[in-house]
Amino acid sequence: MNAPILEVLGLGIAFGGLRAVDDVTFVAGRHQVTTVIGPNGAGKSTLFNLISGAMRPRSGRVVFDGVPCTGAPPHRMRALGLGRSFQITSLYPDLTVFENLRLATEILEPAGRWFLPVRRSRLALERADALLRRFELTERAGSLAGALSHGEQRRMEVAMALAADPKLLLLDEPTQGMSHGDTQETAELIGRLGREVSVLLIEHDIGLVMQISDHVVVMHQGRKLAEGPPDAVRADPAVQAAYFGHA
Amino acid sequence: MHSHVDAGPAPAGAAGPRRLDRLGLAMRASHLLFGFLALTCLIFAALAWRTGDVFYLRLATEALIFAGLALSVDILLGYTGLLSLGQALYFGLGAYASAVTLKAGYPVSGALGAAFGLSLAASLVGGLIVSRVRGVYFALITFGLAQVAAKAVYNTRELGASDGLIGVPVMPIHLGVATVSSDSPVGFFLFTLAFMAVLYGAVAYLLDTPFGRVLIALKANERRVPYLGYRPERARLAAYVLAAIVAALSGALYPMLRGFVSPELLSFTTSGNAVITVVTGGAGTLVGAFYGSLILTALRSVVGSWTSHHLIVIGLLFMAVVVLFPKGLAGFARSWVEDRFARTGSL
Amino acid sequence: MIDYLQFVLAPQMITGLSLGVAVVLVALGLTIIFGLLDVINMSHGEFYAVGAYLALSLGAAGISFWLLLVLVPLLMIPIGFAVERGLIQRVFNAPDRHTTTLLLTFGLGLVIEEVLAVIYGPNTQRPPTPIRGAVEVFGVMLPNYRLFLIGFGVAVMGLVALVVYRTRLGAMVRAAAYDRDMAASLGVPVALVFAGAFAFGLALAGLAGVLLAPIYSVFPTMGRDFILLAFTVVIVGGMGSIAGAVVAGLLLTQVQAVSSLFISPVWSDPIVFGIMVVMLMVRPQGLFGRLGRA
Repeated sequence: MNAPILEVLGLGIAFGGLRAVDDVTFVAGRHQVTTVIGPNGAGKSTLFNLISGAMRPRSGRVVFDGVPCTGAPPHRMRALGLGRSFQITSLYPDLTVFENLRLATEILEPAGRWFLPVRRSRLALERADALLRRFELTERAGSLAGALSHGEQRRMEVAMALAADPKLLLLDEPTQGMSHGDTQETAELIGRLGREVSVLLIEHDIGLVMQISDHVVVMHQGRKLAEGPPDAVRADPAVQAAYFGHA
Repeated sequence: MHSHVDAGPAPAGAAGPRRLDRLGLAMRASHLLFGFLALTCLIFAALAWRTGDVFYLRLATEALIFAGLALSVDILLGYTGLLSLGQALYFGLGAYASAVTLKAGYPVSGALGAAFGLSLAASLVGGLIVSRVRGVYFALITFGLAQVAAKAVYNTRELGASDGLIGVPVMPIHLGVATVSSDSPVGFFLFTLAFMAVLYGAVAYLLDTPFGRVLIALKANERRVPYLGYRPERARLAAYVLAAIVAALSGALYPMLRGFVSPELLSFTTSGNAVITVVTGGAGTLVGAFYGSLILTALRSVVGSWTSHHLIVIGLLFMAVVVLFPKGLAGFARSWVEDRFARTGSL
Repeated sequence: MIDYLQFVLAPQMITGLSLGVAVVLVALGLTIIFGLLDVINMSHGEFYAVGAYLALSLGAAGISFWLLLVLVPLLMIPIGFAVERGLIQRVFNAPDRHTTTLLLTFGLGLVIEEVLAVIYGPNTQRPPTPIRGAVEVFGVMLPNYRLFLIGFGVAVMGLVALVVYRTRLGAMVRAAAYDRDMAASLGVPVALVFAGAFAFGLALAGLAGVLLAPIYSVFPTMGRDFILLAFTVVIVGGMGSIAGAVVAGLLLTQVQAVSSLFISPVWSDPIVFGIMVVMLMVRPQGLFGRLGRA
């Protein structure tokens, strides 16, 4: 059973005259880390928005786990098994870490528990506990999410995306603004998550990309410039010119 | 990964695993404050009964009824983050439904049933429009809907037009263990208090379920909600319907108390008062609606004894609360109670 | 048919147009304040009432109507500065600016209404019409004052558009509306621009009050009846859009005027409100985009 978890075919959207994402096609493999790289403004976050349902594509198709789901809204993508994190941390700053996670795990409860007190949501509670342990946030469970350090908030962002037991995680620059040590730990975590679930990643840190990616897609000015295994992509002269040339 | 406890400054006070559930803690603090309020009301009722007072009992009963309207505003404003400037629409709907039903000779349960059914149906229709917008647009649409409805009632002869409906009969209310008459000052005050306690309890219960938590999530950060798996429009619709029912059930008691209904009940003044009540009492606390209503009613009757322009005082007080104490009165008190709870570790 | 046009429809449309011009002035103030400060001024209708009462008092004190057209808006400016600096700025950085400023200005509106009631009493008053008589155009009788109101109002709209789109001051205003931080870094005195825009909005509302007082009555809650229409205009036109406020204001008041002839005056408000609802469902950004963005 090795059908890809995500197929993107000729996806495109334009804002005004600008083609933010233009005819992008790629496949994300199951139990792999697929990384999208490209300079600022290449259309990476827009691509994520098209896949996760935040925006409807003007052209192209998205197939998730064998299910055609082009333009499906976010809640449906979640139901199909997609979890996403945000480039700009988007938590519930006035709720505790634990409450944040429980909010994200609650959807796993059967609909019959919708109107029962939250403390009865055993499944959600257990999963929130497990996430606390996995992301080493148990100590901080009672703190307000808004009081966490930047690195901890970025980790929360990933934990929230993973909370509802997704098949594929869309991570939008999870290491943004992290210290070097934290970045390294997060890289290892993402590598493990890639094996467990599947990961589609946007990342700027090229070293990290080369270290954990199974497959790399390079975007430039809304279009796909190249794709392939990390080493092949790095060696590609077009990529060198468009991307590494700037850096 | 290493432990990251040292990665940021520890929050002050009683943080730690015991404070996992801040929302639950806050709700328990609200319950305590509600208990205190109910107790005060009982003492007041006993005193009034001893002295044979009617005027203040009736006034307090009315304050409790309008607290129900404020409670419905709080579901939207304090928990879902939606400011309704037209909640009197459903309060008035409930009042008119109740008046018409009672005048037709049906019992109190029929009046409450009519208010419930009508508000459910009307809010589902209104909610289809309203749930698709938020923020400023939500405020202006709810405002407009109520204005249109008020105008419609004002021009409907069958509903008494600008005079409203008078002559709503006095009704016995059968409560299983006892029967109170709607014209008994103490009896109806206690009935209203119990009724409001049930409404408060029901709303508090619902907000403590996964459903309620989604509403809270909508207020705190709507952007994330769809990715948690929920549809914001559905959640807004549910909150709107719930609030409408609470407002209508409260409104249904009004004609039992006063014996009449008038288009004034649907007016912007009524909606605006409910907002003032909630914000002054403390939005997002549920219990603030009750404290706000009782205190503002008391203030109105005190200031009203010197001048008919008590709205200046109320308006200035309201502005001061918005600028200086955005948590409101009960919000202030509740934080204090919460801290006590957290410190004693009674979670 | 011709008679109908001449004696019913055309006068009704002229009446609608004169109301429309005044509504546009009020809506312009609202939309500029929203476009620039991101603040919903719920007390805007009460400032319209303040303008009308100032005209009433000062007119009774013997000041000529023509002078009032300048004097009353000028008097609104310090009031606007005081409200923006003293109240709005205090909650400007609250977590939910929209709701907080809406609540604050709602409270302010209540207080103003009551203060007006204390000073002037609750009863309706009406200043004398400054221009009497009517002219006949193609057999249609047009009251002179309404014609003046329309002409003057349109001139003011033109002036506003000219200032916003053609002057250095307007460029600063648009820059501040587009991105306040960037504007500040370019040396635009953002705080002053905000307070100035708020004061300017109030001046427009006050001017509308002066203009409408001789036609409609003056009473403490007059702003409340007016504000829903003004908000509807702002939403339909696109919140923060100057062109939108003008187009929607004139259009909606015509709809109101004509529908009250053909259907019933009772239904003219619901119809206009219905247009707003449909607009929000179909095109939530309104007819035109926001100030600074289009």
